[in-house]
Amino acid sequence: MSTLQAEHVYKVFGRHPDEAAAAVRTLQGGADREELRAEGTTAAVIDASFSVEPGQIFVVMGLSGSGKSTLLRMLNGLLEPTAGRILFDGQDLTALSPRELRHVRSTKISMVFQHFALFPHRDVLDNAAYGLEVQGVPRAERERRATEALELCGLGGWEKSWPDELSGGMQQRVGLARALATDADLLLMDESFSALDPLIRRDMQDQLLELQRRLKKTIVFITHDLNEAMRLGDGIAVMRDGRIVQQGTAEDILTRPADDYVASFIQDVDRSRVLTADAVMEDSDPAAEACDCPTVSADTPLADLCAVSARVPHAVAVTAEDGSVIGSVPQDRLIAFIGDEQRPPMYCAEVAA
Amino acid sequence: MPRLPLGSWVDTGVEFLQRHLSWLFDAISTVVTGLYDGIDAVLSAPAPLLLAGILAVAAWWLRGLLAALLAMAGFALVDSIGLWDEAMSTLSLVLVATLITLVISVPLGIWASRSDRVSAVLRPVLDFMQTMPAMVYLIPGIIFFGVGVVPGIIATIIFSLPPGVRMTELGIRQVDGELVEAADAFGTTPRDTLVRVQLPLALPTIMAGVNQVIMLGLSMVVIAGMVGGGGLGGAVYKAIGNVDIGLGFEAGISIVILAMYLDRMTGALGRQVSPLGRRALAKVRAGASGVAKVWNHRPQPAYAIAGAVVLALVAGGLSTFGPGSGSGETKAGGVADIGKGRKISLGYIPWDEGVASTFLWKELLERRGFEVDARQLELGALFTGLAGGQIDFQTDSWLPVTHAQYWEKYGNKLDDLGSWYGSTSIELSVPSYMKDVKSLADLKGKGSQFKGRIIGIEPSAGAMGLLKDKVLPAYGLDGEYKVVDGSTPGMLAELKRAYDKHEPVAVVLWSPHWAYASYDLHKLQDPKGSWGKGDGIHTLARKGFAKDEPEVAKWLRSFKLSEAQLTGLEAKIQESGKGKEQQAVRAWLAEHPEVAKMA
Repeated sequence: MSTLQAEHVYKVFGRHPDEAAAAVRTLQGGADREELRAEGTTAAVIDASFSVEPGQIFVVMGLSGSGKSTLLRMLNGLLEPTAGRILFDGQDLTALSPRELRHVRSTKISMVFQHFALFPHRDVLDNAAYGLEVQGVPRAERERRATEALELCGLGGWEKSWPDELSGGMQQRVGLARALATDADLLLMDESFSALDPLIRRDMQDQLLELQRRLKKTIVFITHDLNEAMRLGDGIAVMRDGRIVQQGTAEDILTRPADDYVASFIQDVDRSRVLTADAVMEDSDPAAEACDCPTVSADTPLADLCAVSARVPHAVAVTAEDGSVIGSVPQDRLIAFIGDEQRPPMYCAEVAA
Repeated sequence: MPRLPLGSWVDTGVEFLQRHLSWLFDAISTVVTGLYDGIDAVLSAPAPLLLAGILAVAAWWLRGLLAALLAMAGFALVDSIGLWDEAMSTLSLVLVATLITLVISVPLGIWASRSDRVSAVLRPVLDFMQTMPAMVYLIPGIIFFGVGVVPGIIATIIFSLPPGVRMTELGIRQVDGELVEAADAFGTTPRDTLVRVQLPLALPTIMAGVNQVIMLGLSMVVIAGMVGGGGLGGAVYKAIGNVDIGLGFEAGISIVILAMYLDRMTGALGRQVSPLGRRALAKVRAGASGVAKVWNHRPQPAYAIAGAVVLALVAGGLSTFGPGSGSGETKAGGVADIGKGRKISLGYIPWDEGVASTFLWKELLERRGFEVDARQLELGALFTGLAGGQIDFQTDSWLPVTHAQYWEKYGNKLDDLGSWYGSTSIELSVPSYMKDVKSLADLKGKGSQFKGRIIGIEPSAGAMGLLKDKVLPAYGLDGEYKVVDGSTPGMLAELKRAYDKHEPVAVVLWSPHWAYASYDLHKLQDPKGSWGKGDGIHTLARKGFAKDEPEVAKWLRSFKLSEAQLTGLEAKIQESGKGKEQQAVRAWLAEHPEVAKMA
């Protein structure tokens, strides 16, 4: 298993390569996007660095125009970074020839698209087998593997159907099967669920998590939906105007937003489902330890914690897997965190001030 | 504004190209002619109805039973009006032009779709090619490639190239960018992306382009007929030249049948070859029931091909073993086989004496073992072809006056084999009901009666230049009258219209002409002799022909016809009707053994 790393990656769109290179130097000198735009160049990604561990889902989140799609396309070389390096599986992708790069894309990295990008002139099976066809796998074997991938995605029996006969969710399953069939280690997903309606989207998210438990791929997932990011991401990077403004776990971002932008972003998040007991607990309350009241585990979402807290007369104890108490959550603190507050309760006079 | 000599620059350029790149033009000409002859040979080999059957089976496969029946009926009609050979040579011309156009336009379109710069450069060039009147391409076409099918095909290619390129480019650019990116993301090479994703998805649009290419090609065939392209275009052109409404309609309807067949078939082929189209068709067919099922039934391609092959084999068998391979058919008169199958190429303009003398010589030479090819051409094309050596000789050149400008330009590349008829005259004529107009001088002061117009013929005709530059000024008529440029058929139509209504009309005419027999006309006297002396009708041969075929040249030099003989022959041809010129000549020769022996 291999690590994906981006090191100080820049992407500047300009008319001439020299212009772009000059723009990178200006950016390194501290200039921002607006200054460049006046000169006719567009900085899509500015100084992006991150690292994704094997088996992780890394979510890049941002609004449209934030550069997240550009960043994703540099990870498999569809776009060449203006500066910086992309390391995957020990290889610097930016140093590869077009032919080597194509080989990497056909065998190690696959991609799932926002609007599915299924080939309308191929049936479901041939779509799922496309990557294998590019690799030159013989027909019988590629059809066997494509069928397996389709079954994995819950599409057994649909092999001979055509893409336009399927619903959006099913089409995206074909897209996912196409990406999985090649056995690539790295899966790039570009707003893959954004075009689906909310219920289907949730289904697909569940299925992706389920698949991930079994397959342990490395996944980079692009989304503009913070709830989706929180649900899926082991690690999250928030992008704004081409820069990564914050990286961390879902809780890091919810509880310690790096700036007002991120803070405004997380306003709409259902915090009671994202935050877990261990993120809000404080040092153990001896009173909570002594009694036989119900306790919760560290990964219990606040929504469930509320139910327990309502039945317990004191702070709820948080226990580790071995049953030992690692902390406790008093009710006022619980309410404070659901209500987007990171400080302990204050006195009336302090609040008024 | 100074006059920019743009035209003469182009002239110089064309001359330069002709001098230095003639090897290239010869090569192109050879390839195109070879392709054309090949396809034409294949199409003309089977019996007409068998080929019609094959085409109908193709229609059945592509569009269903109704289309097959209609196709069969249409082609049977073409055969029954005696235009089958013409239709097949037109079809060959269109197929060759389409084939070459596609070979050029599809790669160009692909290139343009991949590079904005190429696209930007191509766009004005394509606009230029498409909007330039197609006739303009014919002039350099004749100079580079000589008369015949080649300039017609080249002009057709230039004319029909733009939609081929545009639709290919459009089709590829229309393919969803995400699909191309998906192909790219799975490591597809650019070539495979083109072949596996872009072209299959662009195919319906590209096929629409192919359809347009074919339709534009068909619309060019009439024009190609003017430079000896033959086929239905030649028939139409001949009909126009002879004001033969019947033939014009027959040739026209044949073109329509061909056009509809090709249009519907390429449209259906577009759906058949593109994977998406095939699926849509299969869906429609699965949904049909009862009578609709029979109607919509399409034979499997394998059966269709088998059917076509069986028909083709039958056809081949018939043409091999059947009658019609007429070796030693007409060696009447017991004359010696001097030609031994050598080829002689004749050109003629659709003037009555030209048609008569040309078919007379065709018959006489064929009796003597030559293989003779006679083509109807536009006057300028005829002289160009003669000078270029593609035509061996022509028998209808009015010298020294009427065709003087052509003789001046090409005389040094031609041999004059003498006059066989004389003398002719050119004149202005008015209906004899114009009682007070007897001579050119009488026209003076009567401009308002004639609406100040003299109805002329083709501006390229020698008579027209003479009329404008010499005759009118000589009688002081040039301010009062305007010579209307037009065409011989137009002039004759206007004459008929005015004659029927008893209106005053003055037309450019010449003797001999059948109009004098049909209408009561008066030739205006020319006391000042400004029309010049009468012409002789000369036989002109390409330089070197007399050396190559001394026997034939000797016959031509001694050729003479009296007025009685010529008008008799013309009348015979007129009686027999179009397309039967040679039979008329044979019948006439039977009555005039002295001419048959003469050569």
